[in-house]
Amino acid sequence: MSRQNFCGSAEHGVSRRTFFGTTMFAGATAFAANMRVMDALKNPCLASELKRQQKSVILLWLGGGASQFETWDPKPGRPTGGPFRAISTDTPSVQISELLPKMAQRLKTTAIIRSLNTRNADHGGGTRLMECGRAVEQAVDYPDLGALIARELGRADSQVPDYVSMYSETEGRHKGGPGFLGARYAPTFLTESMIPPNIRRPESIPEVDHQERADLQKLLAKRFAEKRYNASVASHGMAYERVRGIMASETLFDINQEPQSARDFYGPTQFQEQCLIARRLVEAGVPFVKVARAWWDSHGQNFETHLELCADLDQGMSALLDDLKQRGLLDSTLVITLAEFGRTPGINASLGRDHFASAWSCTLSGCGIKGGSVYGKTDPDGHKVEDGEMKAGDLFATIFAALGVDYKKEYHLGARPIPIVDFGCKPVPEILA
Amino acid sequence: MHQVRGVIAIVLSVACVWATTVDAAELAAPDLAIEQAIDQYIQARLTERQVQPAPIADDCTLVRRTTLDLQGRIPTIAEAQTYVQSNEPDKRLKLVERLLASADFAYQFRNQLDTLLMGGQKGNHNEFREYLLKSVRQNRHWDQMFRDMLIGNEDDPEVKAATTFVRVRARELDELTNETSTVFFGVNVSCAKCHDHPLVDDWKQDHYFGLASFFQRTYVTKKNNLAEKFSGEVKFKTTKGVDKVAKMMFLTGTTVDEPVVEVSADERKKQDEDVKKQMQDDKAGPAPKPPFSPREKLVEVALQPGNDQFFARAIVNRVWAMYLGRGLVHPLDQMHSGNPASHPELLDWLSRDLIQHQFDLQRLVRGIVLSQAYARTSEWSESTEPPAPDLFAVALVRPLSPRQYSMSLRLASSNPEAYKPEVGGEEWQKRRDELERNSEGFANQFELPGENFQVGVDEALLFSNNAQFVDDYARDSQDRLVGAIKQQTDRTTQITTAYWAALTRAPSTDEIAACNQYLEKRTEPVAGLRQMVWALLTSPELRFNH
Amino acid sequence: MTSSDPTKFKVTKTARLKGIALCIANLPGTERVFFGSSDFKVYELDLAAEKPQPVEFTGEGHQSYVTGAALAGPQLVTGGYDGRLIWWDLEKREPVRTVPAHEKWIRNVVASPDGKVIASVADDMLCKMWDAGTGNLLHTLVEHKPMTPHHFPSMLFAVAFSADGQLVATGDKVGHVAVWEVATGKKISELEAPVMYTWDPKQRRHSIGGIRSLAFSADGKLLAAGGIGTIGNIDHLDGPSRIEIFDWAARQRTQEISDTKFKGLVEQIAFPREGTWFVCSGGDNGGFVSFYDWQTGKVVHQDKVPMHVHKFVLNDTQDTLYAAGHDQIAVVEFKAVPVPAEPVAPAS
Repeated sequence: MSRQNFCGSAEHGVSRRTFFGTTMFAGATAFAANMRVMDALKNPCLASELKRQQKSVILLWLGGGASQFETWDPKPGRPTGGPFRAISTDTPSVQISELLPKMAQRLKTTAIIRSLNTRNADHGGGTRLMECGRAVEQAVDYPDLGALIARELGRADSQVPDYVSMYSETEGRHKGGPGFLGARYAPTFLTESMIPPNIRRPESIPEVDHQERADLQKLLAKRFAEKRYNASVASHGMAYERVRGIMASETLFDINQEPQSARDFYGPTQFQEQCLIARRLVEAGVPFVKVARAWWDSHGQNFETHLELCADLDQGMSALLDDLKQRGLLDSTLVITLAEFGRTPGINASLGRDHFASAWSCTLSGCGIKGGSVYGKTDPDGHKVEDGEMKAGDLFATIFAALGVDYKKEYHLGARPIPIVDFGCKPVPEILA
Repeated sequence: MHQVRGVIAIVLSVACVWATTVDAAELAAPDLAIEQAIDQYIQARLTERQVQPAPIADDCTLVRRTTLDLQGRIPTIAEAQTYVQSNEPDKRLKLVERLLASADFAYQFRNQLDTLLMGGQKGNHNEFREYLLKSVRQNRHWDQMFRDMLIGNEDDPEVKAATTFVRVRARELDELTNETSTVFFGVNVSCAKCHDHPLVDDWKQDHYFGLASFFQRTYVTKKNNLAEKFSGEVKFKTTKGVDKVAKMMFLTGTTVDEPVVEVSADERKKQDEDVKKQMQDDKAGPAPKPPFSPREKLVEVALQPGNDQFFARAIVNRVWAMYLGRGLVHPLDQMHSGNPASHPELLDWLSRDLIQHQFDLQRLVRGIVLSQAYARTSEWSESTEPPAPDLFAVALVRPLSPRQYSMSLRLASSNPEAYKPEVGGEEWQKRRDELERNSEGFANQFELPGENFQVGVDEALLFSNNAQFVDDYARDSQDRLVGAIKQQTDRTTQITTAYWAALTRAPSTDEIAACNQYLEKRTEPVAGLRQMVWALLTSPELRFNH
Repeated sequence: MTSSDPTKFKVTKTARLKGIALCIANLPGTERVFFGSSDFKVYELDLAAEKPQPVEFTGEGHQSYVTGAALAGPQLVTGGYDGRLIWWDLEKREPVRTVPAHEKWIRNVVASPDGKVIASVADDMLCKMWDAGTGNLLHTLVEHKPMTPHHFPSMLFAVAFSADGQLVATGDKVGHVAVWEVATGKKISELEAPVMYTWDPKQRRHSIGGIRSLAFSADGKLLAAGGIGTIGNIDHLDGPSRIEIFDWAARQRTQEISDTKFKGLVEQIAFPREGTWFVCSGGDNGGFVSFYDWQTGKVVHQDKVPMHVHKFVLNDTQDTLYAAGHDQIAVVEFKAVPVPAEPVAPAS
């Protein structure tokens, strides 16, 4: 068989044939020609199991780089520790910064990782690294976490967006994207407005016409797609097929649909409102939602910055976890707090902390996570990782493992195999449930 | 006198140049027409594999495909129908000749080269695009353009624009090295930066850093001119941890020794200061030109007989992929011994032909689009699985580039009388220039299609719900298609006109019936027409070149 | 005539420290200073010494950054981010009284000119007035809102007495200022300096500004507020140093100084007993001292100093300031050169 048949393995060749043989020719779902479906056909049991569980990820992205000292890895009383105290939590022996009092009472849902050593302390490079889970090389356009999750956990015929990214703030705003996975997994990217662009029917066309016009388009397009076995053509049909569903999901983005009590529960800030939108989306089956809260890049006035932003994070994150739990969604939703890097132990002349990627923290809560666990350890002043060093790829492997996605899986770009996590990276079983 | 002119030692490495895989004597005759050579080699493989290729596409499909490829837009109804109705036996040859000679070709081929050279680059580079346009109009050959782009001439404003290729990448040595290698030699050496290539024996760290050495001295002055330093070398740590100074080395292993030049310490210091001034002072005079230019050497070495295989094969493969939808070697940047061509002899033949014809790309384009392989239908009607794409047995469907799509939408949605390329001459060129510029804004909303291209739901939402789009393209004013067909009294005529305008063909009976049925149900007839035209404008049949 | 001349500005001495000096007080008539540090400790430093060495205060001290220091008679009162006020015996260098004064960070501690009243401000948004002798609470001044209009915790950075000790002013993160009568604890005026908040709903959904310093003019009629102006789209202290001067009784702004030559926060302002200038200091990554004419707003003199200055204190002859800052204490002199025959011309 030809080497170009996907990855060249006999197994894939067979699935490819099965795919065209059953799905395409039978005309069941004419627009399913994407890699996910092929994978699903390759291992239908696993694939359908994942879909049934409806797992989701909410990424709280702390753009600019939050300080581990003022959040998850406090060093009170040390020269590098800053002025804040560490406080006890609902988990004996675990302390976090006093700036997160609400989260301190919810650590039983959460694992703290204190041992990221990712080496890239540049905003652009660090962002790409932590978004993609690996150092980006020019040869390959890697997908980011959102696109990977959308591909692994999204349904091909989903009626809702499968990757929503909210980035209202100007600092570090970055769209990310699907890379080689293709536009099917591109984010619905929200910046100025919380309503996705072009989601509303224009007033110039009545509802019935809008629907029937789409039906006509589909009918006419079918003839073209029928005998052309091409994934790009299929994606065109799939994109148009999803229009009506996505339009119907407009209300998901509207927090006015929530009772005032729910809105009060989350709080009035933009970040807190977006946490509420994230919950609405996840509840409706969106597999990946990113909420970016920026301005953590505290080169000046680190402590005032964290006093302000940690209050925002503490309220938004704890409300989100409580709400997910109450709705029975926390077991299937993984909430991640992550940034491009952490901040220096040294306190600079502007009472700021600068970029630091050698020993910093992130958290994983909910789905597949052993709550109350802490992984890794930094030295007393937080200069370096003393125990359990993790790279970006190890974090990604852990995220996939928590979600039940095979972290050893490979994609194929032409003939080139691309492992879903970077070479040699492994999950950390200690924090997995 | 501080300078001693040394001998430039060019050492031909004993490492085999894997590029030539077939003995020249075994290749088909050099005087064969390009299209004949293509069809001979493609057919040979099909016969060997016992694959019956798809038939030649119908006239409508062919005129659309070729016009999109050579003019960057769909044909007008008049252009298409003239071709379809012609009974001349050599009408396809004439079509290709006409298209190649048209004003549109220069724009389209320029756009293709622009994508090839600057595809991943952000920001405007209008002067560079102008340079490309002029080059295509003069049929400047590829080796000459390579010289222009890599060496350039900061004093000649026209050729200065060409160095934009280097200038926009000059701040990142890795990017400049790898993208030059990828674009011009079809070789992605980036893996070899950190280690000898894991999968491919061809590329070692010495190759990566050897290639980088040609660019190490390149810098951009404060005035945004391209210049080179007097000295500078690339140092790297080998995988075994040994510190090493890279030798300027081409991919074939050919190395270049810099002439030994004695320079006094004072002079060196002055040179360094001059360079520093150039980098910092926007009022500095012209940049000093060192006697030895590594970039010039790279061009010289890369174009040497034998070494020029890389340069020739890379562009042959890329031009092939432009028109056939994938390279003979695929992916395009993986031309190495571990990833052989689907048709090695054809690649060799075409490369030899290109070299023998002084890198005349337009001649190559003409040959490719005249081949049978290019002209097959993209439909696979057999009950068997479609043949592997690298057999070129059935035409590959290719997404339109953002510019092609934008211009084609504009044409398709216009009153069929609005554009008349047949007037030719300056009048049409002006019109075409306008079309090109007016299409830019809309084109910018789309990403350049890469491998595994997919249409995202954002695009479908834009076309479905963006009032601006609907108002502009499906407007019923006189200058628009809807405006034109609403004057027509017969519904079948309306449907037929719309099909020709948007999809370059007549509708089938079924399609007429479907549209009829749709229009029938509308209480507001013009709105119905607008919706029908919308359904055609958003068809995959318009979105792709098929 | 005053013995000072801002144009004769000179950094005459620096003492390197291990931590960050966040506040400072000076024993009148001496070169002895007391400063609070980021290592949670309080030190004495005799700047008359050739190589001044900090001497640590002992006993049960603060448990966080020490951010306010004021001398009240024979005692030093310090406040810290631990919410405590501590009275220290200067000679024994030991605490004599510890008061849990605020629920949140104490941002500054000042003493009335006669040393009888201590005022502290903290992020509980309260200003508390204390009897310096007994440590008894005299008044709690409630005015500043705990949350910003954008629902984030606010901060109360600045407090200052007037020279006659009759008035005290407080200023917060959103740029709100209140003027109070010390005797009664009654609010008698309010002022707004909203630019100092540095919040921008689009470009900067975050604030690192606020009113960081306040000072009354010698006659008590004017009130100057210091902070930072509009900050660019990055998170350094990359905005103009900013001062607004008010005729507080008329509730009118008389000067607005936005100085891009030296960027960053204005952390402290002081008016001399006489003269037309006032002095301020602060910084971004570096530090500055600027003298302005309070009538015209024009620069009298300005220069950089070796570090970001968190607080300074003028000596009693008002020709020297002792600055506490990042990793060091600096002595800045601006002494007029005595010219016997002619009076010292005011600098312009």
